[in-house]
Formats: sequence, C-alpha cells, structure tokens
Amino acid sequence: MATLNEKKTCSERMENFRRFVWNPETKLFMGRTLINWVWISLYYLAFYVVMTGLFALSIYSLMRTVNPYEPDYQDQLKSPGVTLRPDVYGDRGLQIYYNTSENKTWERLVTTLQTFLTAYTPAAQHLNVNCTGDKYFIQDTFDGPNNTKLSCKFTSDMLQNCSGIADPTFGFPEGKPCFIIKMNRIIKFYPGNGTAPRVDCTYVGDESRPLEVDYYPVNGTFNLHYFPYYGKKAQPTYSNPLVAVKFLNITRNVELKIVCKIIGAGITFDNVHDPYEGKVEFKLKIEN
Amino acid sequence: MGKEESYELGPRGPAPPKAPKGRGRRKKEQLEDMKKEMDVDDHKLELPDLEAKYSTSITKGLVGAVAAERLLRDGPNELRPPRGTPECVKFGRQLAGGLQCLMWVAAAICLIAYGVQEGQGDRGSADNLYLAIALIAVVVVTGCFGYYQEFKSTNIIASFKNLVPQQATVIREGDKLQINANELVVGDLVEIKGGDRVPADIRIISAQGCKVDNSSLTGESEPQTRSPECTHDSPLETRNIAFFSTMCLEGTATGLVINTGDRTIIGRIASLASGVENEKTPIAIEIEHFVDIIAGLAIFFGATFFVVAMVIGYPFLRAMVFFMAIVVAYVPEGLLATVTVCLSLTAKRLARKNCVVKNLEAVETLGSTSVICSDKTGTLTQNRMTVAHLWFDNQIHTADTTEDQSGQSFDQSSETWTLLSRVVTLCNRAQFKSGQENVPVAKREVIGDASETALLKFAEVTVGTVSEARGRFPKVAELPFNSTNKFQVGSRGTKEGGGQPGVPVRAWVEVTRRGPLQLSVHTAGDRQLLVLKGAPERVLERCSTVMIKGQELPLDAQWREAFEGAYADLGGRGERVLGFCARWLPAGTVAAGTDPEALPEVAVGLCFAGLVAMIDPPRATVPRAVLKCRTAGIRVGHGDSGDGKGMEGMGREMRTGEDTEGTWGDTEGLGRDMEGMWGGHGRDMGMGTSEEKKGGGTQGTWGTWGQGCEGTAGPRQRPPCPPQVIMVTGDHPITAKAIAAAVGIISEGSETPEDVAARLRVPLEQVDPRWDPTSPGLGGDRGAPRPGDPVSGVPRQARARVVTGAELAGMEPGVLEGILRAHPEMVFARTSPQQKLVIVESCQRLGAIVAVTGDGVNDSPALKRADIGVAMGIAGSDAAKNAADMILLDDNFASIVTGVEQGRLIFDNLKKSIAYTLTKNIPELTPYLIYITASVPLPLGCITILFIELCTDIFPSVSLAYERAESDIMHLKPRNPRRDRLVNEPLAAYSYFQIGAIQSFAGFTDYFVAMAQEGWWPLLCLGLRPRWEDTHEQELQDSYGQQWTFEQRRYQQYTCYTVFFISIEMCQIADVLIRKTRRLSLLQQGLFRNHILVIAIVFQVSIGCFLCYCPGMPNIFNFMPIRFQWWFVPMPFGLLILIYDEIRKLGVRRHPGSWWDRELYY
Repeated sequence: MATLNEKKTCSERMENFRRFVWNPETKLFMGRTLINWVWISLYYLAFYVVMTGLFALSIYSLMRTVNPYEPDYQDQLKSPGVTLRPDVYGDRGLQIYYNTSENKTWERLVTTLQTFLTAYTPAAQHLNVNCTGDKYFIQDTFDGPNNTKLSCKFTSDMLQNCSGIADPTFGFPEGKPCFIIKMNRIIKFYPGNGTAPRVDCTYVGDESRPLEVDYYPVNGTFNLHYFPYYGKKAQPTYSNPLVAVKFLNITRNVELKIVCKIIGAGITFDNVHDPYEGKVEFKLKIEN
Repeated sequence: MGKEESYELGPRGPAPPKAPKGRGRRKKEQLEDMKKEMDVDDHKLELPDLEAKYSTSITKGLVGAVAAERLLRDGPNELRPPRGTPECVKFGRQLAGGLQCLMWVAAAICLIAYGVQEGQGDRGSADNLYLAIALIAVVVVTGCFGYYQEFKSTNIIASFKNLVPQQATVIREGDKLQINANELVVGDLVEIKGGDRVPADIRIISAQGCKVDNSSLTGESEPQTRSPECTHDSPLETRNIAFFSTMCLEGTATGLVINTGDRTIIGRIASLASGVENEKTPIAIEIEHFVDIIAGLAIFFGATFFVVAMVIGYPFLRAMVFFMAIVVAYVPEGLLATVTVCLSLTAKRLARKNCVVKNLEAVETLGSTSVICSDKTGTLTQNRMTVAHLWFDNQIHTADTTEDQSGQSFDQSSETWTLLSRVVTLCNRAQFKSGQENVPVAKREVIGDASETALLKFAEVTVGTVSEARGRFPKVAELPFNSTNKFQVGSRGTKEGGGQPGVPVRAWVEVTRRGPLQLSVHTAGDRQLLVLKGAPERVLERCSTVMIKGQELPLDAQWREAFEGAYADLGGRGERVLGFCARWLPAGTVAAGTDPEALPEVAVGLCFAGLVAMIDPPRATVPRAVLKCRTAGIRVGHGDSGDGKGMEGMGREMRTGEDTEGTWGDTEGLGRDMEGMWGGHGRDMGMGTSEEKKGGGTQGTWGTWGQGCEGTAGPRQRPPCPPQVIMVTGDHPITAKAIAAAVGIISEGSETPEDVAARLRVPLEQVDPRWDPTSPGLGGDRGAPRPGDPVSGVPRQARARVVTGAELAGMEPGVLEGILRAHPEMVFARTSPQQKLVIVESCQRLGAIVAVTGDGVNDSPALKRADIGVAMGIAGSDAAKNAADMILLDDNFASIVTGVEQGRLIFDNLKKSIAYTLTKNIPELTPYLIYITASVPLPLGCITILFIELCTDIFPSVSLAYERAESDIMHLKPRNPRRDRLVNEPLAAYSYFQIGAIQSFAGFTDYFVAMAQEGWWPLLCLGLRPRWEDTHEQELQDSYGQQWTFEQRRYQQYTCYTVFFISIEMCQIADVLIRKTRRLSLLQQGLFRNHILVIAIVFQVSIGCFLCYCPGMPNIFNFMPIRFQWWFVPMPFGLLILIYDEIRKLGVRRHPGSWWDRELYY
C-alpha cells in the first residue's frame, strides 16, 4: 500500500489535476472524451426532461383534484387567529407605546387604523348585502353575481365611537384609545355554536382588576351572519367582521399587559404554543 | 557468473525504492538500519579476543565499578517502550476528521445563529440550539466509538515485557551473585541453568547439555543445543549465542553478555515492531478518499449557496445559517457509524469461524488482499511429524497423513512389512503418556521427540497396540545416549576381537544433522532381534542383505541403486527419511550389562527392511484453500508442464531434505542472477472473464496480477505482480518447496529455475533471462523490464522460485521486487525476521495488499507492517497476537480464505450501503436549494434530516451488510486499490443525480400535495417565504382566502417536513431494494431472502410512524401527524426507482463493456 499512501507535493497535485482536466495523451477532458461528455449530457438532459415532465404531470393532476372553493383539509386551522389594529411589534409581541403630548407618537397609530378602515367604507362594501338575522348566513347555492355567494356588509360606522368618523383620532390623544380586534377567517367555520362570539379584554394575569372597556358593536360580538366564510372564490368581497375596544381608564406612564380573548364555543385561547389563537395580547403604555 | 558486477551496480541503479512519505527522516534511517541483518560477530571471536573486546575476564567477570559505569553508559538491561501519543491527542484526532470538522463548523454556526437570534428576541431560534447540540453529540459519540476501537489495540511492547527475565546469576570480581536482570551490562559473566530465562544476549563460554527454547524468538519449537563452538556465520544460526528472553530448558551454561536491553535481538525486534507504523488499511483509505470528496462537495455547495443567498439579498447571518443547513443536509452523518457497524457484524461472523478480528477495518483488508505471505509450520502444516511414505519391496508406499489418521491404504500383506513394522515398533523409545486409551491415536500425548512420536503413532495405527508388541519382545538392553558418546563411524575399525556378543546395544548416533542412529536388542522367543534405525546411508552401511517380498536377498549394486533412487525421491519431497534394518541373533548373543560402547560391533551384516519418510504434512484443508485463493485471485493457468525430471534431478542432487544446506549454499550465487526472469506466464494472462468488470479496456491484458499494479502515470502496462500466496518460512528450502508443492503454492507443473535447468540439462544461468539490474525503473513506476523480451535463448518457464534467506541477504530491495514480479509462485526459506519485513515491504511496493501470517515474536514486525497481520491463536506468541490485526483461533490457513471471502463480501456490501446512504443526501439538500432560490416555505428541516441520517436509515443500510454475494466472489480478482474504489464516479453520479433526483421529485410532489390540500397552492408557495416566515404576520392569506397565524403556518411547515421525510423514507425503501444488487435483477437475488433487510424496512416504517403519530412530537422534534394518504404520494416514484434500476441492471447485464455499462455500473 505504500505506493497508495504517498503524500503528494502540491505541485504534483496541481499537475495531476491539470492532467485530469485535460489529458493530452488520451484526449480526456475531466476523465471523459468530448464525445462521451456530449453523450452523458444528452442522457442527463433526457433524464431530467422526463422527470420534470412527470413532476409537472403530478402537479397538474394535483391541481385538477383540489377543490377550488374550499381546501381539502384544515388541520392547522382548528381555531381562528386574532389580530389587533394598530399592530406595532416590539421585542416580544405587540407593543403600543405612545405619548399623548407628542402627536407624532400616536399619529402613526391613528393612520394605521384609518388605513385599515378604508376597506370598510360604504363604498368599499357596496357589493355586499345588508344582513339582519342573528343567525349563521348559510348559503348552499351560489346566489351572488358571477356564480358567487353573498357576503354581509360590515361598515366602519358599526364601530360607533371607534369608527373614526366622529373622532378621527380614535381617542388616542385623550388617553382613551380605540383598538380594533379582528378574527381570522376560516372556511366553513361556525364560531360560537349559535351564540355570537364576543371579545373580552382583561389585564394579563390579573383578571379581577377591573379594566373599563367599551365594546363596539355592543357587547363586542361578532354577528353570526358574517359566518360561515365560503372562501375567496365564493365570496370575493367578504370582509371580516370587526370589534372595536375603547379603553377608558388606562393608568398613565405604566406598561400594561392586556389580553383580548374571543369567547365563544369552538374558539380556543389556551393554546400555549400559539399566542394569537383565539386571543391577542399586547402591551400598552400611555405617557404624557 | 558476474554476480559481483551486477550487484555492485545495484545500488547505483536509478530506481531506489521511492522514499516513502516525508516524515521524520532520522527515525526512518533508524528503522532501515534495524532492518539490516545483525552485525554481531562476537560468535566468531576467540575467547581472548572477546575478553579484550569487552575488557572483562571470562573467569572472574567484571569489576563492580566498571559494571556500574557501563550501566550508566548503556542504560538498564530492559526494553524501553517507545514514546506513545498521549491519550487526549488520540481522542482529539478522532474529533478532528474531515466530516467532523465540517460538523463542528456547522454546530458553531448554529450556536452563533442561536446567540444572535436570542439577542434579537426571535422566536423559534431554540431549534438552532438543539441542532448545535445534536451535531456536537453526533461528533462526540462517533469520536468515542473510534477512540474505543483504537484503544483496543494494545501496546506492543507490553507483550515483550512478559518475556523479560527478572533475576540473573552473575559473576563479578570472581564472586557469584544474584542481581536484577536489568542491572546486567555488556561484559558481565552470567550463568544460566535449566528453567531460567536468558537475561541478555550471551556468548556461550562453556555449556553442559544446555538446550534453549528459541520458540519465542523464531517460532521454531524444537529445543536447540547451545555450546561454545561457533557453528555458523549467522549469529542467529550459530550455537554459541543464547538470546535475551529465550528459555533455557535443560543443562547449564556460562556466558558473556554481549548485548543488553534494546540492543539485543529481541530488543531490536521489539523496537522494529513498534517502530513500524501501522499502515492505513485499504478501507480506511477508501473512506478517507470519499470523505474528502464529500467534505469538498459540501463546502462547495455551501459556499455556492452562501454567495447566491448573499446576492439574492439575504442578511449575512441568514446566509450563514443556509450554509450550515446545507452542510448538515449534505454530510452523511450516519455513514461512519454504518460502516463501523457493518464491519463489526462481519467481524462477529468471522469470529464464529475462528477468526478474531482486532482491528475492525482489517475485515475488509483481507478481502482486498492480493498477496498472502504465509508461514509454513502450523499454518499450512499440521505442526507434527507424520509418516508420509514408506519404501519397502522396492516400492514407495504412501501413508495416510490426514489429521485423524484414520486408516492406512497401502498393502500390508508383505512379509517385509511385517519386519519393517516390527523394527519401527521396537526401535523406538517414545511412549504414550498413560491414561489415554480412549483418546484417538493422533491426539494422544507422547513422551519423545518429533520423529519418534510420528513413528510410534504410525505403528500404533497400523500394527496395533505398541506396548503389547513391546511386551512380546522385551528389550534386552539399551545404550543410553548422550552427546558425549557419539557413535563414531570409525569405531568399526577398532573392532576388538569380533566384539562381544551380549553387549547391550542401544546407541544414538548423531552423525549428521539428519538425526541419530538407534540400536536396540530384543528377545523374540528363542532368538534375539537386533533392530536399528537411523540416517539411511548410515543404516545401509551396516547392511549386507535386503528384504524383498519376505526374502533376504544380497545387497548388490542393483539394490543399492534402487535404494538410492527411493532415498533421493523421498528426500526430494522434503521428507525426513529414516532407514530401518534388523538381524536375528541367536538367543543370548547379547546379555544385559554389556558395555554399550562395544555394542555397535554386533550391528553389522544386517538385513535392510525399508525406509520410512516423515514430514510435517499439510493440513487437509489447505490445498483447497490455496486453490480457492488462486481462483480468487489470480492466475489459475498452468505454466509449461514439466515432466517431473526436474524434481527427480533435484532430489538426486540434494540427497535429503535435511542435508541440503550446503548444496543450497552453492547455488546461492546462481540464484542471484535469476531475478528478473519474466517467467513464462505471459500466455496465461487475460483470464479476466467478463464477470470481472470495471477493468475497462485494460483488464484482458494483464488478467491477473497486472491489475493490481498498473502504473499510476501513463498508459504503459506494468508487468504482473507477485504471486498470491507466498510461503515465508524459517525451514529448509527443500522441505519448504515440498510443502509448497503439496498445498499448491507451487502449482502442479510449475518449475523453479533449477528444475528447468535440470530438465533441459543446461547450466542454470542459461535459464535465466538476465536483466540488467541497472536498467531504468526497477522498482520504480515506469519502464520496468518489458515482459516478453528474451535475452537468452531458453524460454522462460520457471513460474516458481525458492529463495533462501542467505540469497535475500545479498539483495537490494529492487532486485527482490524483480523476482516477485517474475515468478508467480514464490517460496522464501530460512528467512530472518528482518527479511520477512523486507519481503512484505517489497510486495507492498509493487502495489499489492499484503496479508502476513505468523506466530513467533520474530514475525511481529512483519505482522505489524503487513496490511493485515494474521496471528495464530494456538501457537502464536503474545507479541505476534498483539502486532496482528486478526487472530486465527484454530491456526488454520483455510480460515484466512473464509476471511478473504467475507472481506470481499463486505466491500461489495459496503458499496451498496454507502450508495444507499449517499442517495438521500440529494433529497435532503434540494429542499434548501429550492428554499433559497424559489423562496418556498422550507420543505425539510435540519432536525428532520438528522432523524433520517441517524435514525431511520441506519437500519436498512446496516442490513445491506447481510446481503449475500451476487456472484461467486471468490472467482473474481482482488480489487485494484487504485481503480476499484469504494465510492467511484458512477456510484456517486447514479446515486446523486439519478436516484437522488427521483427522490427529490417525490419529496417535492408530496410537499406540494400537502401544501395544496391544506390551502397553499404551488404557485402561491413560490416567493412566499418572506411573508411566511414573518413572525409578525398573523393573518397570511392562503389560496382560499383563509388567514393563518404564524404558529399555524409553522405547524404547516412541520407537516411539510414530515411529508418530505415520509417521501424520502418511502423512496429509500425502494432504494434499499435496488441496492441489494448491483448487476443482478432483484428477482434473481430474491426480494425477501435477506430477512434482516425486510425486518429493517419494517422497523424503519415503524419508526416513521412513531415519529409522526406519537403525541408531543410536533413540539419536540417537529414531526406532525400527517394525513394517511400522503404516505402514498411518493410510492409511484418508489416504483419508478425500482423499474428504472431494473432497466439499468438489464442493460448492464446485456451489454457488458458498453457505454451504458461504463456509465451506470457502480
């Protein structure tokens, strides 16, 4: 084995490599003749063309089989996520800090809310129908235009004091800010089991301490006629119902941890692994 | 003869063996120095010169002060262990291999990423911490495993320590005193007696019946006489030197210490053995070779995509994490463990067949062995003298020499046989130890020397109970033998009055080295029977008649010639021949109490009964094993078949097997000119069958040895390599040759140059196609002498060659290589430990992978130097066992063949295992590449990859070690270490770019199915990554308008991991099935015949199920309980793999040598 173990010098290695790249004696380029390289390339080309074809075929047949209206499975969507507006993230989660005396600190938050609510102006909602029943709006047929289903109107005025119409500053300068709670949509999800789910905001860890909150619409409920959701294709104009919360007695200059849960059958908020499932937590600090 | 000239030119030749490696030259020189023969000449000096040389007195010894001074100068008389590598360094080395370094880097990147992300308050960064811990654990555990393996090979010096004496009797200033043996110095006068260990190398000054057991040094088990006379030029052969650590069996002796400590013979061997580096095993080289490639590719891929990621615009840290992930994905973490387990499984299998493997990697080495240097005694032979032939009635009869000696087949009806058997029975002092009536004769223990034992057992088997016969013919008297009353041949002349009848006759005669002459007189009814045995020509001298078919005929010239013929024939077979004769005497001719010295006078005019020839016969299993080696290796062809005259001629010339030293000495000079003979084997090349693939175009040319030693550079062919089984023995050349012929090392019809010369009746030098040792390239890489280049007119017909140690001593290494190349069948006789080492190195220099078998301490350097050293479990000394990589518990050569078979099988199976293991690296790697370039949500996580590598796929890859051979592997050539790599280009290309590609497609198909069915259509997935991984995005819309929080997406991502994992597993099941064979159809091999593999697949699937469906897995190991049908998505791809590989194999089988075969057969 001695001959195999010999350490080669660097120049020998380079020479060997050079010889490997092009061996003038045998006319081998990288260990193959040129024609051989052509053959092997053609072989691999053919191989990959065939494989890509097979792959494309699989994806094509996959897309032929998936239901365009609703997904086959919703394994990860057992309970809807909950989001907050305005949504400003700090180091750990949502963190809304502002100073009442510094306009700049809250104007950003207000703009966020205003922008968010532009989707809920009557003009934006004009394709949707007015719904009145406090029941699930179940549609088995495609009654809407262009073979769609109808969606219920949700306009920002339903948020009353927090609609931004009466008070374009959403109460931020007064230290009584409005927050908008939104529930993620999940196809054919029936929240509340017949009773409308409602938002409930408390201090984190100290639920006995009273937090004065005004909920809009009244009681902070999501009306059942916004459910179920039939998917983007069936309800192209669907908009999520909202609940606005207005905190009335926020202690100034203290960081407060507040959680807003959605109470209703079928909505869980105790999943330790997902902080945004069925609830939204945020820190609030109002300085002056 | 011109031997002087040619030899003087030798060293100046342009081809000194390539200076191996560039490490410590001084150590190297030291070693070279040690390899030279001992330069001791003390045995030749006269006593006064000796006294002067060591300035001591042979009567009074040294003066105390001088001794103390010398002790200070030379150091204590003990073996110094060499400085070893510290344990922590050894362990550190295990942690710093190629792959390990990469994993360290990966772990470090993980930790940095963890640290940075933790600092930024990122969620999910704990994954990086786990990954770092897992990687470090893998490296450390693998390292511990390797360290443990290395730790098991114990320190060689330790085994020599046991041999060293503790106390010595020394004479200083005239006083006899006991001192510790390690205080002895050169010049000391020491006394030894039976039972002592010799405390240093000693020149004997006086001795009384001193015999030493040199077995620990030379492996020869017969006690050897020590006396003050110088009997041989070689210090190892002469009788007046006793060696450090050998045992004094009987008698006493006084001697002068000439060497102490490491300068003694045993010290030299010990330091030689520990100084010889352990050669890297072929499999270690293979693994290193491909680990280098893997590591290189991993870094290449990692770096490429690091750059790509940076260019695309990822932040630096992310790009580093990508680099780390690619390394983790690409490095086969479980591979080293798989290889180790596969090897240890084979080691276990071998252990059941009496081969204990000390060094795991040695398992494979045996498979790639192209040369076996075998010891003779005990390995090839039964290690006991046995009667092999008889000559009586002018006919040679063959006796049964099998191990059990069940029956004798020759004609026993002749009256001559009756007489001969009686002489054999009676003229024998050996006897069975009592209480062994139920033991088979062959296994009974006997008191007596080797030949007497052989005769006793032979008599017991053929004529019945010996003790009974001896009872019927009671011994009248005998002459006790001792070395002082030698039976002088001349004593016949000093006949005193016709001798005195009635003198008890019992004489040992040590006339020649052949052995004693033995006489005894027995009462047989009303007559007395005088029986005599001994060296045939001495016996014949005393005979006047010869018994033929029961009739006493006068011993005339015709019978003498017949006797000579038979004697030469038997002697030529390497057998120890004894003559037997008898004479009936009238009752009372010899009476008890007669002076023994006068007894030989009676022993004249005897009747010659016959000859009995004994040999240490080959083990029954050996010839078949050697043949198997031959077919497994190398040439099966025959040379020009001789007509047998050569052998006869040689026998004539050599007289007897025992007496040939001188003769061989004479031929020494001739022998030297014989190397470079390109024996007539050109014509049986090209035996390469189409089975033996990968030889490419060249294979047919040098079908056999050639493939092992093709030059590195240039297309020029090299001549054939050395023979496969080489006998290296300390025994006499004739015996060695005879045994070699009997076991097939010298195949039927092969001739040595001497045979050829004798047959053609030409001088020896004409047989020899001389090549000039100065011609370029001897021993070098190119320009070796061209075969088929006749210089002399005589065709080169000598396939075989017997080289003695004396011849070797005068050779340059390059010359030896020439001989090894020229003669496919080699026997080395009367070799010293250093020469064994030189032989091994020469073979290695020719590119052969060498296995060495041995048992003595003297073999330990060669054992250590060999690519695989095989020690004998029963006869082997501790030093040999320690130096060896493998131990044959039954001392049986045939076990080596089993080892070769297993080694070859494991090489094939490792290839399959590695192909299997490498394949999945592509489907592990592609998710990252697509993730980086197409920005899809990550399809496969690092932890999942580690689970594939270290958990599920380990079992199938190990189970491939149980796969049976596809074809008769013992009919293939040994692999060419240069070309038949463990991992070659077709293997890597096929695994990576074809099967691996199919697996990747399977994985991505399943991935997109799982994503689409959960709401994320493929087109949406492209480019989704930044929003998908945004921890602040809690309402990401899928293709259906549903909104997902980050955590929901994360679990969806884990689902993808799991789905991809399952896809790889499913495809790997197909992969392990296709890897069962490399060229046979799966159906030919049997789909379920490897039960372990079936179990492994079931187990693999079970683990997959467990990982998927065990509660809690999503948050511990990121496995999700996936939908049942997603298991089936990759199955069509698995089927495709099976079908595609069957097509590949079909093409390979149908069109051997075609483009398809070259590109797709691995």
